[in-house]
Amino acid sequence: MAVFDGHIKAVRDFMRSVPVTDDLYQEIDCSGTPEEIRSSLPINLGRGASSGIHLRSNTYTELGNPIAGSCSHLLWTNNTSLVRDGRITLIGPDIPASEGESLPFGQILMLAGETLGANDHERLQQAPIIGDRIEGYMLKSTSDYLWARVSKDVAARGFNFEILGKSLISLIKSRTPGISAIEILFVTSSKEDVKELASIASEVKGLGSNLLKEAWKERGFDVECDFDCASCHDEPVCDDIREVIVGVKKAAREKRKAEDGKAVEHPIPFKLNA
Amino acid sequence: MTIDMKAMKLKGVERYKQERDWFQMGLNACRFMPGEEFKLQAQLLEILLDSKQVVVDCVENDQPFIGGYFCNAPELFHAMNLPWFMLMETPFLAATAPYLLADIEGSEEMGLGTDLCTAIRLPIYYIEKGLMPIPTCVLGLLYPCDGAPMLHQVIEHNKAWKDVPIYCADPPYTSDERAIEYFAEELKRMTEFLEQHTGRTLDLERLKTVCEESNRTYTIWQDYNELRRHVPSPHGWEIGGAQAFAISQCFVAGDPKCTAWFEQLYRVGQMRIERGAGASEAEGWREKIRLFWFDIMPYGWIFEFMPWLESTFGAVIVMDMFGNFPYTLIDTTSEETIFHDLAKRNLIDSPMIRQARGTAENFSNDIRRIVEDYKIDVVIWPGHMGHKDGAATIGIMRDTCREIGVPFLHIGLDLFDKRYTSIDEVKEKVTDFFKGMGLA
Repeated sequence: MAVFDGHIKAVRDFMRSVPVTDDLYQEIDCSGTPEEIRSSLPINLGRGASSGIHLRSNTYTELGNPIAGSCSHLLWTNNTSLVRDGRITLIGPDIPASEGESLPFGQILMLAGETLGANDHERLQQAPIIGDRIEGYMLKSTSDYLWARVSKDVAARGFNFEILGKSLISLIKSRTPGISAIEILFVTSSKEDVKELASIASEVKGLGSNLLKEAWKERGFDVECDFDCASCHDEPVCDDIREVIVGVKKAAREKRKAEDGKAVEHPIPFKLNA
Repeated sequence: MTIDMKAMKLKGVERYKQERDWFQMGLNACRFMPGEEFKLQAQLLEILLDSKQVVVDCVENDQPFIGGYFCNAPELFHAMNLPWFMLMETPFLAATAPYLLADIEGSEEMGLGTDLCTAIRLPIYYIEKGLMPIPTCVLGLLYPCDGAPMLHQVIEHNKAWKDVPIYCADPPYTSDERAIEYFAEELKRMTEFLEQHTGRTLDLERLKTVCEESNRTYTIWQDYNELRRHVPSPHGWEIGGAQAFAISQCFVAGDPKCTAWFEQLYRVGQMRIERGAGASEAEGWREKIRLFWFDIMPYGWIFEFMPWLESTFGAVIVMDMFGNFPYTLIDTTSEETIFHDLAKRNLIDSPMIRQARGTAENFSNDIRRIVEDYKIDVVIWPGHMGHKDGAATIGIMRDTCREIGVPFLHIGLDLFDKRYTSIDEVKEKVTDFFKGMGLA
């Protein structure tokens, strides 16, 4: 299934060409089972790990405020050679160096699994929705972008993009069957870089919608609605019913008119059930 | 036969004045009540009353004002100093409108089909009966449903309204960048239309200021919604979503008074969390079922149903369609970015528009996200009789809920008319469902 392969390659081109100095470009590799990764982290993962509210006053760094710049996409493929499993790339400043700041934030998740197909697209979209599963990291409930807060508490324990990336890899692999490789790109360098990343992936949503539509069709849902009154074989029946309704209403009006001795105000001058 | 337009205009605002006076009584009562929650309600009523009074003033002093909808980019109206009211306002105030059922019956007696959404039927009735203020011009709605344009057909034919100019922004079906850019141009044309017919002009700097204030309002709303993730949720059906929607979009969008209301809302929510309070503070009560009500609230009978849900089952509306926050903040860098983001907000983000205008995936994606973020136990699709567009996606919604393991209830009712499915019947269905799912 090569629907997003071109976009994965374009993201890789972006990673190579983005104009940042070496100190703002980090590549981290992580390996191990989801459980091994989880146990290596200084924070808790899993349902309820981030229970409670992360107030603005308790925020160490804000990521992806839409005014600062934000984008998030998930690309998947069944060509496992396109995804470097466990690779986390950060372009831009890291969280520990950004106390009190609101950083632009781009996040691209690249997933691979040999058996992945169009019918998996819908469930794969669930992967980045992590709810309260990463301690001290709150994703605001937005739909088209990522807007997150990192709490002061976990920042004090060294929370950075390596930890965030590893957390995502562990959670997604454990929650999403069929995934054998995950690679993550984080971009915090500038609003322009995040915008460029968003433009690379701008087709992704439309392609995903088409995949969903096909998947729903296969499951028997009629999503086209490609019929109207003119093409419906029951149209004469509906027409008859309308005529009957008009007659009944007319008779009722006449009866009321006769009883009240007054006219109905402003009869509606068009067919309401048309 | 000529009609006395001045008399018609004054008649059209009579009901409006009654509503204003009714809410003024509510405000007076709120001001005497202690506590931060009543302060919040008082702030809401002040904003509502101001918006009603300004329309009355416009009618009485022959000043321009408009009739429109929440998804017509109301920040533009505010920036142009154009008062406005929502053509479908009364159904949303229905819980406090004692004449609602009589009006619905009146609409039926006029011959309006009972299969037509009650929220559309009522304004048709008000226009035909001369119970709605006659504005300088109307901004119509070609989306999300086919029923709404019927209201505009009535406007075009009604003797008192037929000369009121109408503009309808044309909504594309898709939600991609091309669609947003197209709709941004439609909003620009809408602005030209307003300038032409009201004599008011749009100052870009003023629009920028309004949009920045609007952003402040929405940012606090987003923060407030994060409070509702808390278990127990600090508020249920009574405070939060519906009012947040109304304050941000239905009265004066992008006004510091609205921002102040949201600041108070946040403060109240935070205070409740700090003292461990849930949606109800009745003795022995605790939150047991977290609900996502995926539609407008049942305004016609809300007081007869929602308190029952909370008290009988500990079932709390943690999120609803209009309380959800999928909004784009407006980038105020330039005229282009402002109109682009207003277009996205009003074409794609606005509640009901977002779901019913667009593709079915908005229904399933919103369910996925909201269930996860707000720890939802049950998704309720009320199945409002007017939401036939949404009815087409019930199967997809049910499948989505099955996949993510959350019970899904489809009822089938009228959110405004309690005779359609009786409240007892709704309660019975909900009770059976909760029991069947082992939740009660």
